[in-house]
Amino acid sequence: MIPDLTRAAGVPRLVGISHPMGQPFGRPHDADRQRAVLRAMLELLASATGPGSQVELPFEWPETPAQVRKASKDVPPSPMEELMRSAPPGEEPGTAL
Amino acid sequence: MRAWAARLEPGLIPFTPLAKPLRECTVALISTAGIACNDDRPFDQDGERRNPWWGDPSFRAIPLGMTEKDVRLHHLHIDRRFGEADLDVVLPMRRLAELVGEGVVGRPAPTHYSLMGYILEPRELLEQTVPAIAERMRAEHVDAVALAPA
Repeated sequence: MIPDLTRAAGVPRLVGISHPMGQPFGRPHDADRQRAVLRAMLELLASATGPGSQVELPFEWPETPAQVRKASKDVPPSPMEELMRSAPPGEEPGTAL
Repeated sequence: MRAWAARLEPGLIPFTPLAKPLRECTVALISTAGIACNDDRPFDQDGERRNPWWGDPSFRAIPLGMTEKDVRLHHLHIDRRFGEADLDVVLPMRRLAELVGEGVVGRPAPTHYSLMGYILEPRELLEQTVPAIAERMRAEHVDAVALAPA
């Protein structure tokens, strides 16, 4: 998801995966994928040899990023997104010529 | 967020080797999807709406066996419908039970946990919430934890 940010926090062990936000273990009712992701996380507990151990899991997401965005397009923006949209300096909607 | 991460000072990364085989370990899960049981206090979404720089730094305990029927997600930065359709998308307690059945893991902890995934000021999280979770985990003899972002 965003392993570079997690790594910056200094976690002991890190599993990276290219799943979208909101669905870290897999899609709803995809028990096989969910179990495989959890198993890979837990196996790193035993296989990691030192701090900062990182594994990138090979799972591919079945949708493109555009499809993921489209599926969640009616989700309201977060408060921070709204704040950023409403007040970019000098770029208030409706004021530009 | 990347600019913020670049400002973090690299510190000593903690590391505790697993003291026994995974098949003998009690495992707990933590999700940052902001999950709260229906009979528990919801995470404070209104506080974040009033001040988008703030995120609720508290935690909720999720007893083993809770399902999507028993909880709501409160994280304001994700599509919560996936985790509310199938809790194992964010907190895979049923998948953990299956791994116990397969002999991969010793046993599931009686209690699992959730946090909000958006906390820009982590002081209270680090000084109060995390030690409180750790104390409960010690009381339940948890050997290892899998923490998943949402």
